[in-house]
Amino acid sequence: MIQARDVTKEYVDGDGTRVRVLDGMSLDVAEGEFVAVVGSSGSGKSTLLHLLGGLDVDYRGEVAVGGVKLRGLRDKALARFRNTHVGFVFQSFHLIPNLSAVENVLLPSHFGAAPVEARKRAEHLLERVGLGAKKDRVPVRLSGGERQRVAIARALFNRPRLLLCDEPTGNLDAATGTGVIALFQELHREGLTVLCVTHEERMSAAAGRVLRLQEGRLVEERAGLHVATGGSP
Amino acid sequence: MRLDALSRLVRLSLARERKGAFFSAFGVAMGVGALVFFLGLGLGVGRVIREDIFPTDARLVDVVPPAVSLGSLLGGGKLDAPTVERLRALPGVEAAYRKMNVRVPAVTRYDGVFFGSRLRMGMEVLALGVEPALVQGDVQLGEFKDAGEGQPIPSLVSTRLLELYNKTFAPARKLPQLSANMLVGFGFPVEFNRSYVAAASASGATQAAQAQVVGASDRALLAGITIPLEAAIRLNRAFGMDAENYSGVTLVATDPSRVPAIVDAVRGMGLEIDDQERRMAENSGAAVALTTAALALLSILICLLAAVNIAHALSASVRARAREIGVMQAVGASRSDIRAIVLAEAAVVGLAGGASGTAAALLLALGVDKLAAGYLPNFPFKPDSFFSFPWPVVVGGVLLGLAAALAGAYFPSRRAAATDPARTLAG
Repeated sequence: MIQARDVTKEYVDGDGTRVRVLDGMSLDVAEGEFVAVVGSSGSGKSTLLHLLGGLDVDYRGEVAVGGVKLRGLRDKALARFRNTHVGFVFQSFHLIPNLSAVENVLLPSHFGAAPVEARKRAEHLLERVGLGAKKDRVPVRLSGGERQRVAIARALFNRPRLLLCDEPTGNLDAATGTGVIALFQELHREGLTVLCVTHEERMSAAAGRVLRLQEGRLVEERAGLHVATGGSP
Repeated sequence: MRLDALSRLVRLSLARERKGAFFSAFGVAMGVGALVFFLGLGLGVGRVIREDIFPTDARLVDVVPPAVSLGSLLGGGKLDAPTVERLRALPGVEAAYRKMNVRVPAVTRYDGVFFGSRLRMGMEVLALGVEPALVQGDVQLGEFKDAGEGQPIPSLVSTRLLELYNKTFAPARKLPQLSANMLVGFGFPVEFNRSYVAAASASGATQAAQAQVVGASDRALLAGITIPLEAAIRLNRAFGMDAENYSGVTLVATDPSRVPAIVDAVRGMGLEIDDQERRMAENSGAAVALTTAALALLSILICLLAAVNIAHALSASVRARAREIGVMQAVGASRSDIRAIVLAEAAVVGLAGGASGTAAALLLALGVDKLAAGYLPNFPFKPDSFFSFPWPVVVGGVLLGLAAALAGAYFPSRRAAATDPARTLAG
């Protein structure tokens, strides 16, 4: 599913110093894996996620997701890739405040081909994450856990093969976080590839494989136990 | 990006920022409304000048003999029959109509009932003879030809004279308002070779005649009567005046574009062009056009300010929505999608502002016309409407609103499209 080879990413920080966050990093993730990436703050975990999701293509090396080489893709093709191949779940949920839950879930439908019965699918996904009764609520009227569930439903809308999660439980209390982790495990069991950047011990424990990002490279912290297969969420 | 999706996102965004959108649209409406209003006023007043006060036909060229010329002293520079034929043969000339003044003074003395009012009045009358074909379209009674001495002389009055009478003379003297139709058939006495202010120019007796109004014409003499050419020739002969040379010739060009060449050719023949009316029309039109242009410029400045206001508002909005834009990019929006959303928001604001500004201008014009009808005195050539709104002005007003908004949105849309999702979504 993911092949990254010798990926180097640098940026210039506020005082003009060039900082190398990824330094010849390589990564292979098979279809259906649940991988957790851990590391200290500022180690480049989020940067890695942005590279894998096609949000940032300014790097050296090669990244391919689902057979699609990301660097060199034109903007439209990259946008199509993000629309169809990956789903993002962020720590801060990043829901559009004036849209209802179901409209937030429908957001990806605005940028791709007109889906058949889009609204029905959005409502189904909200049912699936346990928010069927709250589909018309705007984010401010939802709890943190509920907002994250809406964000997960939005990430799943276009049936991506890869779910990229950036500290998805970082803003949730323990009980709510447990529920979200259980949801990821369920999605993984159904065959979805999940790559999760996290500090959360329980999330790492739920993952099949844990990688640590240190000094710009990934090292195996815990090898995978199994690779699940199944239908789409 | 699909149109339905774009329209949905734009609707949601505008609903959220309805206050800012309203003020942006209001700015556009002010500029567009002012522009449409002043353009409509300029076009309306220009129309009155062109069609009512100085009605000119772009195809007509009025030729007159030179006031003073060496040629005339030697027998040239005259508008005699051979010269008229030469004029008629000029390239681009479709027709030539001769004119001849009655070269003796004339007076009218009316003492009787004038459309229900008692009128007793004497005045000098100028008489100009013209070829019937020049005014045939305006003749409403009988044929426009001289029936001979002792018979009524068919006469046309100027439509402008009628307007001046109706708006100034008639109200001041409590006389009835008249239309051209009412005047048709009206007869009044004219005494040729007589003047209240100067000595008669020909020796001998005066000649009394009856003039009969057969219609009103834009081409008729303003301060006098226009009679058949043959009548003028007959009267000049009767008083021993020049009945061979014409006072003027009106040339009709095949096309307005041929007029400059005809004018040059006429001047080359040692003749002059009587373009006094045309110049007055052009000068008045230019004054109106200049005023309109100044006011239009002011209005366009307002539109520019509106565009700057939209640019500011959208820039602030784009900055505030950076994370939201990043989310859209994360779920599949391309840079062109983001640009389209911002431009479409501005387009809706611009169209709404342009349409409401144009509608406001039309309503204001209607109100001004109503006020003018009710409160302004009934001066000559007072139009029913001071405004003219041809469809290009109306459509142009709406499109100007759109253009101003899109111009204002150009840089904010580029900034929005350049949003780095990785940076805005970090943390």
